[in-house]
Amino acid sequence: MDERVTRDVAVAAAALDYDAELMLRVKEGDGASFGVLLQKHRSPVTHFLFRMVQNQAIAEELAQEVFLRVYRSRSTYEPTAKFTTWLFRIATHLALNSLRDRRNERSQERLDDDSLDASAREVKDKQPTAEQRMLHQLKLEEVRRAIAALPEKQRVAVLMHKYQEMEYSQIAKVLNCSDAAVKSLLFRAYESLRGRLAHMA
Amino acid sequence: MICPIQTQESAEILLAYCTGELDQKRAAAIEQHIQICPVCEEFASKQRMVWQALDAWEAQPVSMDFDRRLYQRIEAEVSWWDRIMRPFRQAMARRALPVAATACLATMAVLLLDHQAKPAKVAEAESTQIESVQPDQVEHAFDDMEMLRQFSALMRAEPSPPNSKM
Repeated sequence: MDERVTRDVAVAAAALDYDAELMLRVKEGDGASFGVLLQKHRSPVTHFLFRMVQNQAIAEELAQEVFLRVYRSRSTYEPTAKFTTWLFRIATHLALNSLRDRRNERSQERLDDDSLDASAREVKDKQPTAEQRMLHQLKLEEVRRAIAALPEKQRVAVLMHKYQEMEYSQIAKVLNCSDAAVKSLLFRAYESLRGRLAHMA
Repeated sequence: MICPIQTQESAEILLAYCTGELDQKRAAAIEQHIQICPVCEEFASKQRMVWQALDAWEAQPVSMDFDRRLYQRIEAEVSWWDRIMRPFRQAMARRALPVAATACLATMAVLLLDHQAKPAKVAEAESTQIESVQPDQVEHAFDDMEMLRQFSALMRAEPSPPNSKM
């Protein structure tokens, strides 16, 4: 009885979640709906992964794997949670695995390379002076290092909170913990970031 | 108002204020407190700076060929049979039910007709066989039976030969 009620609630929630509705259509064999989901979530997922692993090529490779897993799971998909919660749970899992695999000196080298690439792109857009370019580059590098220095869960929580604008409850579902735990994670994370970045502005 | 910085739980409210997550009423209360509390003012100021620093970190745009690469990977996972059948699948799905129903009905009709036709055929075959037997054939059969009967009687009358010993 309880199970049926839970299931009904999940189905009702899916009705409100347009992404879940699209995914249910993908389950029924509608490839176009998968295209819509891909178009909508391609950038947020890739940007989240980029900030997690701090390497664009790896981030895109992981994002491909995220969408591939979504597609593979279409036949067994059940809208038991918000679609983005499920999506970012897959992305987080892959990012953390990738970080654990790459935790060596090479990752630091890539971090430096990417930092230069990103600042170069920024320079092209805004045409700043040499001094501004250097300052911006230093600032970005510091932000990247500060984020990279956070413990894994704190990093995931901050990136989801700041850049994906997720609510505490959704971050909690992605990280499989309580809302209170997320608040605590974020508090500690921002405390560390205040210590490292507050002097920058 | 008790200073929110005193406990972590309350400080989380201060953080929520800095990230714009408080409702108007609670935000106004915190704002009033910040004006008279230098510790909370410093906290809020630093948090705003962190927020600005994080804003500066833009992610790179996704590669133009992202979708193409993804669909290539998806395609690579589809079996050759699925690829061949794909154009026909939708048409087949539409017509499968009526075709299957027609096939079932046809099979049942054939089976029923076949079942009814069999006993008639057997009876017909038997009568044809009887009609085709000639009287001389019956006479020969009786003669053969008589001969067999006499042969059996002779075999029973004859004593068995004694075993030879070396």
